[in-house]
Amino acid sequence: MDAMTGWWDDYFWASITVAEVFVCSLFFMVIFGLLGASAKLSSNAVARSLANTYTVFFRGTPEILVVLLMYFGSAVTLTAIAQLFDSSIRFVDIPPFWAGTIAIALVVGSYATETFRGAFSGVNPGSIEAARALGMSNTQTLFYVRIPEMWRLALPPFGNHMLSLIKDTALISIIGLNEMLFVAKQATSTTGKPFTMYIVVGVIYLGFSTIITLATMLLERFANRHVRRAP
Amino acid sequence: MNNTNDPIIRLIEVSKRYGKFEALKEIDLDVRKGERIVVCGPSGSGKSTLIRCINRMEEHTSGQIIINGHELTDKTKDIDAVRSEIGMVFQSFNLFPHMTILKNLTIAQRLVRKTPKAEARDTAMHYLGRVKIPEQANKYPIQLSGGQQQRVAIARALCMKPQIMLFDEPTSALDPEMISEVLDVMVDLASDGMTMLCVTHEMGFARSVADRVIFMDHGQLIEQAEPETFFNHPQHERTALFLRQILRH
Repeated sequence: MDAMTGWWDDYFWASITVAEVFVCSLFFMVIFGLLGASAKLSSNAVARSLANTYTVFFRGTPEILVVLLMYFGSAVTLTAIAQLFDSSIRFVDIPPFWAGTIAIALVVGSYATETFRGAFSGVNPGSIEAARALGMSNTQTLFYVRIPEMWRLALPPFGNHMLSLIKDTALISIIGLNEMLFVAKQATSTTGKPFTMYIVVGVIYLGFSTIITLATMLLERFANRHVRRAP
Repeated sequence: MNNTNDPIIRLIEVSKRYGKFEALKEIDLDVRKGERIVVCGPSGSGKSTLIRCINRMEEHTSGQIIINGHELTDKTKDIDAVRSEIGMVFQSFNLFPHMTILKNLTIAQRLVRKTPKAEARDTAMHYLGRVKIPEQANKYPIQLSGGQQQRVAIARALCMKPQIMLFDEPTSALDPEMISEVLDVMVDLASDGMTMLCVTHEMGFARSVADRVIFMDHGQLIEQAEPETFFNHPQHERTALFLRQILRH
């Protein structure tokens, strides 16, 4: 472990980056998942086929490819636009942090779409009917009845989606984000100790995933509080 | 506004189709304010569909439904406002499982009526007291018996201070020993002057509480009469047959 001397703070800041990517992509993943699920459950045929295209594409292509396409695709597009205004511009890109965050949120969001869709279908139609009969609007019923009931059913697979997200953050090193794998690669080339450098990355990721697993357990216990009978 | 003698619910030639199946065939019905009506009939006769059309949980296909002078149509802008005046009690209770009993009773008051929190809570406790389970306020629905859940469901509807209460087989999902506790609440409500439409097979309740009993079969309103006449001198053979079947044992 002597080889680690001088590298600890790099690993520390890289793991902060990983945590940041995780939190941001989690936010977008939930949004994409909810949008996708509402579209799939909607009576609008255009919305349904858009959502189907979304899940077929992002569930059917390798995640690393999506990250590359997102980064270079946006860079090519932005560069072309910029050159319309100033032909001396050579290259414009969006920051790897955001390209990567959105890319993995899109991928995991496509899985979450199916999770949320299934969970929404699992909500007791009687609850929805009762809410409507009390005069609650569609939107109120969605936020106060359907989502809270759906949430309990969605949580176990949602825990898996969060684990996917945290592991997918490692893919963003490929577009040059200064995250842990990126640091480990640099450290390896300097110290010539690849195993040490990569095993540290593994241990840190295990730490993150353990926290996520525990958090999911607590959330599940909270979400199921009304299902347990009184002792 | 409308005259007090005008019916609070008026159905004119109301029909409802599901594809080719006619669930309701040209139903005419007037309900006066404060009237207590029991709807009975064999399963599939359209009695649930009838009361579900009254708060537009189902949309009728033709005819007119007029509630308190307002006709229910596709263009009814504020169907939510109409619904909030009509309480509904379901066969399967349909309490919100993730909310405490108190929250079940306050949520619609807060969201639909914009009642201040303390007032909504007081109203909820008042009606929980009326259905005789105020001590269950902080429990979750699953912790209550079926009879208690149904009483909570009635209290939840009453918290909106509705002008009409619809009951869709409120005791059909209950164990026999719990039926009377729910019927007691309904009798109490009836003696209070609430306009009630009850789909039920509780003929004892119909006999003692109803102002009018309606018999439906195959989507048609076959017969309606005061309970005395209805039970003792049914006019139609189908009614008589139905009564013989359910009262045999």
